[in-house]
Amino acid sequence: MSAWEGFLRQARAARIWSRLGGTSDVVVAAAALVALLLVPLTATAYGLQLATDILAAVALAYGWNLISGFTGYLSFGQVSFYGLGAYATALLVSRTPVPWYGAVLLGGILGAAVALLLGPIMLRLRGILFALGMLGLARILGIIFNNWNFAGASLGLSLPAALTPLAVYGGMALVAAAAFACNAFFVHSGFGLDAMSLNEDEAAAVAFGVPATRVKVIAFVLSAIFPALVGGLVAWNRSYIDPTSAFKPSLDLETVVFVLFGGIGTLWGPLFGAAVLMVIGEELLVYLPNFELALFGGVVILTVLVLPGGLVGLANRFGWLRRPLVLAPAALPEGAPPAPRAMPAGDVPVLEVRGLTVRFGGLVALSNVSLTLRRGEIVSIIGANGAGKTTLFNTITGFITPSVGRICYLGRDVTRLPTFRRARLGMARSFQIPRLMRSLTVWENVVLASRHGGQAHRAVAHTAWVLRITGLAALWREPASRLSPGHQRQLELARVLALHPALVLLDEVMAGMTREEREGVRNVIRHLPEFGVAAVACVEHVIAAVADLSDRMVVLDFGHEIAAGPPQSVLRDPAVVRAYLGEPL
Amino acid sequence: MLALQLAINGILLGGLYVLLAQSLNLIFGVMGVVNLAHGGFIVVAGLFTYWFTIRSGVSPLVVLPMAFIAMGAIGALVQRFLIEPLMRFGSRAELLSLMITFGLSYLLVDLALQLWGADFVSVPYLQSSWTVAGLAFNQALVIAGIFAAFISAALYAWLNLTLSGKALLAASQSPVGAICCGIDVGRVRLVAFALGVGLAAAAGVLVIIVTPLAPETADDFTLLAFVIIALGGLGNYLGVAAAALVLGLVQSAAGYFLGGSVEYILPYVLLLGVMMLRPQRFRRAAS
Amino acid sequence: MAPRRRGILLWARRASGLVLAGAALVLGMNAAWAAGPIVVGATISETGPLAADALFQLRGEQLAIAKANAEGGWLGRRIVLKYYDDKSSPGTAVRLYQRLITEDKADLLLGPYSSLVTVAIAPLINKYKMATLEPGASVPTIYVPGNKWNIQPVASSTTYLHQLLPLAQKDGAKTVALLGLQSAFTLACDQARTAQAKRLGLKIVYSTTYALPQPDFSSIALAIKNARPDVVLACTYYPDAVGITRALHEQGYAPRYLGETVGPVEPAFIAALGPLANRILSNTSWWPNFKTPGNRTFIADYKKKFGEMPDYHAAAGYSAVEVLGAAVKATHSLDQAKLRRWLLTHTVQTVQGPFKVDANGRAIGATQDMVQIQNGVLKLVSPPSLAQAKVLVPYTGS
Repeated sequence: MSAWEGFLRQARAARIWSRLGGTSDVVVAAAALVALLLVPLTATAYGLQLATDILAAVALAYGWNLISGFTGYLSFGQVSFYGLGAYATALLVSRTPVPWYGAVLLGGILGAAVALLLGPIMLRLRGILFALGMLGLARILGIIFNNWNFAGASLGLSLPAALTPLAVYGGMALVAAAAFACNAFFVHSGFGLDAMSLNEDEAAAVAFGVPATRVKVIAFVLSAIFPALVGGLVAWNRSYIDPTSAFKPSLDLETVVFVLFGGIGTLWGPLFGAAVLMVIGEELLVYLPNFELALFGGVVILTVLVLPGGLVGLANRFGWLRRPLVLAPAALPEGAPPAPRAMPAGDVPVLEVRGLTVRFGGLVALSNVSLTLRRGEIVSIIGANGAGKTTLFNTITGFITPSVGRICYLGRDVTRLPTFRRARLGMARSFQIPRLMRSLTVWENVVLASRHGGQAHRAVAHTAWVLRITGLAALWREPASRLSPGHQRQLELARVLALHPALVLLDEVMAGMTREEREGVRNVIRHLPEFGVAAVACVEHVIAAVADLSDRMVVLDFGHEIAAGPPQSVLRDPAVVRAYLGEPL
Repeated sequence: MLALQLAINGILLGGLYVLLAQSLNLIFGVMGVVNLAHGGFIVVAGLFTYWFTIRSGVSPLVVLPMAFIAMGAIGALVQRFLIEPLMRFGSRAELLSLMITFGLSYLLVDLALQLWGADFVSVPYLQSSWTVAGLAFNQALVIAGIFAAFISAALYAWLNLTLSGKALLAASQSPVGAICCGIDVGRVRLVAFALGVGLAAAAGVLVIIVTPLAPETADDFTLLAFVIIALGGLGNYLGVAAAALVLGLVQSAAGYFLGGSVEYILPYVLLLGVMMLRPQRFRRAAS
Repeated sequence: MAPRRRGILLWARRASGLVLAGAALVLGMNAAWAAGPIVVGATISETGPLAADALFQLRGEQLAIAKANAEGGWLGRRIVLKYYDDKSSPGTAVRLYQRLITEDKADLLLGPYSSLVTVAIAPLINKYKMATLEPGASVPTIYVPGNKWNIQPVASSTTYLHQLLPLAQKDGAKTVALLGLQSAFTLACDQARTAQAKRLGLKIVYSTTYALPQPDFSSIALAIKNARPDVVLACTYYPDAVGITRALHEQGYAPRYLGETVGPVEPAFIAALGPLANRILSNTSWWPNFKTPGNRTFIADYKKKFGEMPDYHAAAGYSAVEVLGAAVKATHSLDQAKLRRWLLTHTVQTVQGPFKVDANGRAIGATQDMVQIQNGVLKLVSPPSLAQAKVLVPYTGS
């Protein structure tokens, strides 16, 4: 079935439309809508201009929220798109017969195109470096336009005047509404969930099938459209644009303050922050002109120290405006076990690793390691700390590229395949230290993986089933940060199952567990083949727990394989005893 | 001769850049705290120097130790009350420290505006150059450069050769591990931040001798310092010193042959260029 | 009636008579104010990068209005200046002018400070058809046929330092280096001076533009040194004027003529550069020794009220109000169309010289004159009729 049909099915199953939010959300939305409609009817020309400016700030805030709030890439250079949109609109309106709305739209498309070009490059960086890169871009664009005579150089461009202030208001309202809709899409959709998971922990997200680059670039492109549209409308509104005001640094700074104050990464935060601070700023401007900067600074500091969640965070404490669970039904359905996975014909091994060598500079972490997993096998990999066990897993799943060697999965050479694609093909791993998405709920952690795995077309039902069999059904709405360590481990396991994997790699999954918990995990491992898992590899230190479970055991020591075979003989092997065990088991 | 003079100009400019960047390097490269108020501290110290020297007539170099200690103390307070409370947020601390220092920069600029107005001001000290073998050595930049070299060497030595410096490195690499070794991590961070701010203040005192300052220029210094650190490698003292010198040289040459506008955008072009062509440096540093 | 009662009635009659008379008197006086004050609206950059100079313009405006009020106001009404801080931001200024026009219902408007902000509000002025004098905007491109309600009371930036090149050429100069800051008005100046150099047949041996912040001008100075021009003409603001002067000194080159716009006229310039500032030439639209009507009063009042000497920005603000007052009085109205017609066709003598504009509102009467720093003090050196001193050459940097 096509992706669209799959999506519709999921949406219906999740009853998205009825889950659009609680009462508080509806109230706020209604109030905003009423205000939006009342303004043109009742306000003076000044009030209309102020409202237009507020809507511009709201649209910019929502645009910024997409890349910086949800996806976690703080950008201090969104003004680049604002300026590009402004200039595109100005040039088109003043030199071509294109009508204003066409020019503004084309400006928006230009912003998106530039973001599409630059995104893959810029988004390789995180944190302050990405912010810096964007800021540098804005500066460079400012200089370019300052020198470009066709665009008026530093004297700027004049445009024919806007039709009516009402037209500008209407245009700005549409842009703000579209930006809001985009944010709503992020909050409610699987795509938004992907973005939020990247924000939290990119490596873990990728291990569960999130196509990181694609998601980031799309978010970046979306976040570029709105400043470009706003820039175009502002240029048209003012009938004039010049490099200084088109690429002004204060735009990003104000936007950041607005979103932070309102609540970063939330649906209503940008609206609250922009509206409240714009109005306060305007009134302060009239009565207290000299202290605006200090006040802005004070707002930011206080918000970070006292209210890091902003106004929305404050509302959340009263139970209002809580973020709804993504793709979640009202009640946890029964779910059903998945159909068995289609396996390639013949006796193709599930995993075949040949001659794997991994070097980190001068250090050789793995040396000529080979491993084959056949269908139905459970293999445990043991060895002292630093032997290279986790490195082996990291290389198999694609976090590390080997210097030498091949990895074949289900008969296919995956040595150069990105991690998320391996995850989608059914290669699942758990992490040594659980890397859960702590800001998301249990449900969302699992559905994130379900969406990308073999059961993506029935992700909701599959997620429900996985939660039930791993014993997390009662906790499905809990934030992952509040789980006990034992439950966290269960959640790790649940995520693995959610991918509907053919190959499961468990990295010290039993560490720190009680006997009962260990028994539970052993049970799950034993039953994995019933769930379509063709082969399991475990890295373990709790040897007693896996000795009777494994068909084969492999021992690593300083990156070399020193023994392999049935557990009983391996554990008596003198080399193994010498290197690791200390005495025969 | 021309090439030599360009090179000297470039190196001296690079010395100024080292001065601007090293203190930020200490705070960001080692502590992971993004101090967006860096430029604000520089400008406040510089403007204070102007105000003080105009009133009292003493040389600005006398003001330097005063500014260092006073701003260092302020830095300690900032760290204690604004930054330290954020450390409990773990991975989100970088983002939050970015935000809070961002707010702080606004406060500092407003303070400077209230106290000293929006005007550009400058101190008429060391305005000439020493001429050696027909080559001109800008006096103010030479002094600044000597000081910058001293700071870089001292920082490098302190961090790598003394116990307290190593404690700082340990605390930045693994706070939990450092605590287990008996290191008072909170105090180490306090000292590092205070030192970073003190050094920024010293930079401000020297900068106002070289070029006029106004409150509005604070952000430009912050940006420039970050660009230099990014080019040189976060936490890497020798790298940042080298990057600063290279940037100074390239800007000097570009300014001569290609004009003022190119000189202006060169740091950003270089940054974007490096980001695009050798992103792995940043990936390793950023992780 | 009993005598006491009669006394009371009499007293009551007299008292009420007095009260009525007093009321009539007061009402009569207030009849003059009965229409309310004339509101003159403006924004000014109280904060932001442009604040330092904008303050002077504001003070000039305030002083002129206070003087006008002391003389009985305009049309018998008191004048009130209602102003807001536009934070040096064009966007904010647009909103605030909107507020002044539609909410505060300003009767008259004055422009903000700087071409940057003025250009942003110009369309709004046209839309609401308010004849507005723009004392802060010297970029001539504002005053074009489409912008018919904006009127320029100050000389265009294209006239800054226009006396320098002919003067130098008469003295034998043949080569010139031109520098320009990348900003609307300095670039307009740079372009005009470049065209002038070409017209005069001077050889341009070096030219470049640059942007702020620029901490180091040594490369530019070195390039200038190698080109060895007779004249260096830089269209600058303040920090770059300081930077260029210092850099030239450090690289060891002193052109015969060194001219910089705007920067050298700031009081801090001489303090910042000391001996390096001597013999630098700059421009001004106003000077204390101008023998223009009301100039001495203007200077005395300004010093008394604000404790320092006014500068040409203050003079610009002051003159703008003078011109506005003249127009209002001459047309006996606040009708914008009438005011505009009058302003475009009349000359007004102000403290900064004659106000006269062409049909597009562009200034043709205002002039820019040349000053030079001599022994740590600014002196007017052109026009010859008002010059306080002769131009001293060469520039030595000491």
